[in-house]
Amino acid sequence: MTIFAVICAAVFPLIHMGRMWLGAYWALPLPNTNNLWINFRSPLVWDVFAISTYFTTSLLFWYIGLVPDLASIRDRVTGIKRLVYGFMSFGWRGTARQWWHYETGYGFLAALATPLVLSVHSVVSWDFAMSLQPGWHTVIFPPYFVAGAILSGCAMVYNLLLPVRQMFRLEKFILPEHLDACLRLTLLTSTIVFYAYSIEFFVAWYSGNPYEWAIFAKRAHGPYAFYFWVMMFCNCIFPMAFWSKKVRSSIPLSFFICILINVGMWFERYNIIVSSLVEDFLPSSWGHFEPGLWEIVITFGSFGLFGTFYFIFVKFFPIISLSEIKLIMPKPLSGKATGGHHHG
Amino acid sequence: MAKSKVDKDQGVIGIFRHLDTVCNAIEKVRERGDFAGYDVLSPTSYHEIEHACGFGASPVRLFTLIGALTGTCTGFGLALLTDWDWSIVVGGKTPGIYSLPAYVVIGFECTILFGAISTILGILVMGRMPNPKRRVLDPRTTDDRFAIFVPGATKDGPQGQFLRECGAEEVRNT
Repeated sequence: MTIFAVICAAVFPLIHMGRMWLGAYWALPLPNTNNLWINFRSPLVWDVFAISTYFTTSLLFWYIGLVPDLASIRDRVTGIKRLVYGFMSFGWRGTARQWWHYETGYGFLAALATPLVLSVHSVVSWDFAMSLQPGWHTVIFPPYFVAGAILSGCAMVYNLLLPVRQMFRLEKFILPEHLDACLRLTLLTSTIVFYAYSIEFFVAWYSGNPYEWAIFAKRAHGPYAFYFWVMMFCNCIFPMAFWSKKVRSSIPLSFFICILINVGMWFERYNIIVSSLVEDFLPSSWGHFEPGLWEIVITFGSFGLFGTFYFIFVKFFPIISLSEIKLIMPKPLSGKATGGHHHG
Repeated sequence: MAKSKVDKDQGVIGIFRHLDTVCNAIEKVRERGDFAGYDVLSPTSYHEIEHACGFGASPVRLFTLIGALTGTCTGFGLALLTDWDWSIVVGGKTPGIYSLPAYVVIGFECTILFGAISTILGILVMGRMPNPKRRVLDPRTTDDRFAIFVPGATKDGPQGQFLRECGAEEVRNT
């Protein structure tokens, strides 16, 4: 999901740049014709580093997790498929030595990838928070973005997992308690996001900064109030239903609330970006923005791009890690007394 | 001696059904001298097998450490050296060593990036992958069976005999 979403996200700056073939030249640390290097103190440069690291590390972590399973598939197919899966599994043999190095490395990759979740969303939030724009220049942005990312991530996982669980009959692997845990995490992050929205308003008022307060007041009852209240209801009010176990165990209702959360998180981004940008410190550049046909079409196109990658993955790759499932299954023991050998 | 290609996959393989049986067999095999270069194949990573094989800490951790430290140096180095080459004063802020807090992000990201890439290299190098010349000894070992493979031995030799004694459900030449 991460990888496909990052690929979709990467399309947007490229579209934005116009001449996308120059994207690499502008974004990467290469000196320009005047011998000027990129500014390493700019959050936009941090973002290039954060997102490329996030993408690369997630890709490596994901792929190396697939290798033993791809080898398993290789041993069960013939002809050209066998060749392709054999190539993709790097000739994995499953020797004790390979497993030993693999387990160690996989653990380290997990440890390296975990702080990335915090760093990538913090760095994205700094793209906003490091500016002086009212509505963006707040210190709560990094934790607020991290919580928002986990909120929409959990809701999205729920929305993607359920159809797959149903269609592939994975009810014995994806148990009701897994779904419940996902919804509990959604509820937790929803309360954090709720807190962040409220504290933003409080700080805007308490700071005594009239520009900051004007933006926030306008968000709630200005021309973009619709977006604001959709965001509030979808991200903060509706998920409160997950306090009830009855709602959490009702799959259609939870599925619907999770769709609402995804809508709400999209509206949050719209709210943050548009409402702060349309009215900055230069009244001459004030305006009003409504998405036009092409903006909407490009947005829906990105959903299509994500869906394409997702379906290709579901079709050709194991959607549940085979080797990890083998580990949580009862160990294949002979049942004979083995002279007091107890390992692990 | 005439040059002859040694087939590393030629030998005897004993297939085991149970984890405890294969662990016992590994421990006994390690005490013998005629099982040089033996391999254990398993469908997933059981710590019991690691213990039986007597593995300690994997050298992959050194790959991670060296990669991560190289990344830290590269990240900070890139930002500081470009500053040194041609400073850009933005908003009156002094570049160079005084801007170190802003370079923490670059240093951190490069640490993770280089650490992750060298960890993958570690897994591949230490696991002898990719290895297009080796063949699959038994497809069941990526499903639910364990195996001990002894290169250069035969099923009727002492090694094959020993594997059978240890409880292998099938012993055959590869």
